Amino acid sequence: MQPYKINPEPWQKGMAKNITFIVTKDCQLACKYCYLVGKNEKERMTWEVAKAAIDYILEYEADFKEESVIWDFIGGEPFLEIELIDKICDYLKTEMYRRNHHWFNSYRFSFSTNGINYDSEKVQKFIKKNKSHLSIGITIDGTQKKHDLNRIWKGVGDKRGSYTDVVRNIPLWLSQFPNAGTKVTISSADIPYIKESVLHLYSLGIHEVNINVVFEDVWKDGDDILFEQQLTELADAIIDGGWYQEYACSFFSETIGKPLNPENDNQNWCGAGKMLAIDAAGNFYPCTRFAAYSLRSKQPIIIGNIQSGIDKDKLRPFLTLDRTTQSPRECIECEVASGCAWCQGENYDAADTPTIFQRSTAICKMHKSRVRANNYYWNKLFRKLELLGERNEFESNKPSVKNNEPC
Amino acid sequence: MLKYLVILLDDTSTAYCHYEAEIRTPRLLALEDLAKAITFGMKENLRIQFVYPNYSIPREYVELINSIDHTNIKPVCLADADDIAVGKLSDFSQVQSANVVLRTSIPELLSGIEQITNIVFDIERVNLVITDIASMSDSDTCSYREFLKELVGSILQRCKAGERMPQLNILTDRLMLTAMNNCNAGEETIIVAPDGKFYVCPAFYYGGKSNCGSVSDGISIKNPQLYKLDYAPICRKCDAWHCHRCVWLNNVKTLEVNTPGHIQCVISHLERNASRELLAGLRGIGEFLPGTEIPEISYLDPFEKL
Repeated sequence: MQPYKINPEPWQKGMAKNITFIVTKDCQLACKYCYLVGKNEKERMTWEVAKAAIDYILEYEADFKEESVIWDFIGGEPFLEIELIDKICDYLKTEMYRRNHHWFNSYRFSFSTNGINYDSEKVQKFIKKNKSHLSIGITIDGTQKKHDLNRIWKGVGDKRGSYTDVVRNIPLWLSQFPNAGTKVTISSADIPYIKESVLHLYSLGIHEVNINVVFEDVWKDGDDILFEQQLTELADAIIDGGWYQEYACSFFSETIGKPLNPENDNQNWCGAGKMLAIDAAGNFYPCTRFAAYSLRSKQPIIIGNIQSGIDKDKLRPFLTLDRTTQSPRECIECEVASGCAWCQGENYDAADTPTIFQRSTAICKMHKSRVRANNYYWNKLFRKLELLGERNEFESNKPSVKNNEPC
Repeated sequence: MLKYLVILLDDTSTAYCHYEAEIRTPRLLALEDLAKAITFGMKENLRIQFVYPNYSIPREYVELINSIDHTNIKPVCLADADDIAVGKLSDFSQVQSANVVLRTSIPELLSGIEQITNIVFDIERVNLVITDIASMSDSDTCSYREFLKELVGSILQRCKAGERMPQLNILTDRLMLTAMNNCNAGEETIIVAPDGKFYVCPAFYYGGKSNCGSVSDGISIKNPQLYKLDYAPICRKCDAWHCHRCVWLNNVKTLEVNTPGHIQCVISHLERNASRELLAGLRGIGEFLPGTEIPEISYLDPFEKL
């Protein structure tokens, strides 16, 4: 019998409050698919703003009833502000303890980093200090060719990709966080490299590859066909190569591609509004995607600030939004609707009016391609397992991944 | 489906709902655009309402207006018996109209309950519109609750003395309704502003929001479904059926036309509950609307039960 990897469920089953500090809008990279259209070197969070935000959030404990919290740090590149982050985390720990706050001992610090200065002394010191409460994801897109196609250094044109600057830190990262996953983003130009990229990440020792197509309307005619081919070939490689035993790729999930009941399966996909983001000016947002630097064509949605607190009226649309109210008829009646994701911020940015109630359908064809390849994957895998007499064991131990995280 | 076309004849046309007509300089709708708007209304089978400024409009406008069946919405000082008269409390000493819109702020309302009671019994139909809902506080809602309680008491006292049952939107509409009956701007009603463009309601024009077409090019409402009840997650589960469900106030408070703010919901539910008290009181006088029930509920904001 072969061992099967069992991945842990998302921390606190994904029900923790997510509070994001946008510590900087600067980044060493200028990734071509980055949705952050307003990155800059000027907007860096000050300690005074961070402290005021923390004081407000912890003071109004009754408004934050979730049992646990994920303190998330985002940029730009968050580790550019490691000294501020260290100070914030120290203050959070001290204050949660001093206030006997219900989040004390039920918190995590979370980072999504480009990995470039992961091995710096300051970052490593921070990791050692907070390791038991840390989640760190390094973004690496796959092979060098695929990675360098998009993830390039700022200010040096297309000539310098960042792959070698990141991949050198992967062994250190995996030694510290063996169960860590990476997040891969697919845009139109990346499609031909999907298969080799996922397999490359597996070969680096990354067991969990969370991958999704961008939600923006970037897709060209024929992309869906090529995408399906790539995923089908990836399915063959994962199954024929036996990777499925210990490695997971979020493109393949048993739960996707089914019709959704308008009454019972009507929840919103996105967590915007249940999350809270704070920027350098001390403004609150329902998610970082509603901050000005994330938006192409709409005004930011500011739901309060560190002086006046959260305007609960501004949160009401987010907290009452459901799937069918924002979806066009074709989505409601879609026979392969499950697993088709959306980003509330992109919906807002792409909408005909300033509303979060108009779902973008830019990924429709891509989702349908994914569903077909996904069906192929499971049919092939289950047949193989049955022939090997391992189906039951697989069912009880199968790997799971966070399914199609929207952002 | 559109049913009503409201034509603002001038930039200083009287404000007749929650909004303020912020433009102080008169500017008439071009006569040519007025003709196009009327033709549009005729072709779409819409009931046309004209909203007047507080001065007499030119004769050629009057002639054009009289070429079609219509309703006039006028300031009290100009309104005839058949017109809908709009004004504030101090304007209502010599009103001739049977149907009035009484626009008042919360402070004016609280200090004028006796006058309001008299107006309600003097005039056949009163639509009371609170003009400062957007800035109301929790303490204002407490005061409003007391106001409604006192008003219900006064109405019951006079009905008991033999006076007719009055018609006041905030108290009696809920008694007569069996489903949501709201403003429905953008769904059943559209306006033509003095710039010759269509807007969802006058507040969107005065508030600088995008137009939705013109009398020359026709109507094009983007995301029209958001003006429908089915696409309003809070309102579709609510039974404050008389609520204006004001899409402009919604947009001011929550940035979405289909989502009301907390205070709006509280105001409408205080009125709903006062209607319930009125119904019970009227049944103490004699038989009244058998079969109509307004159930007791434990919330003032349906958001809390979602």
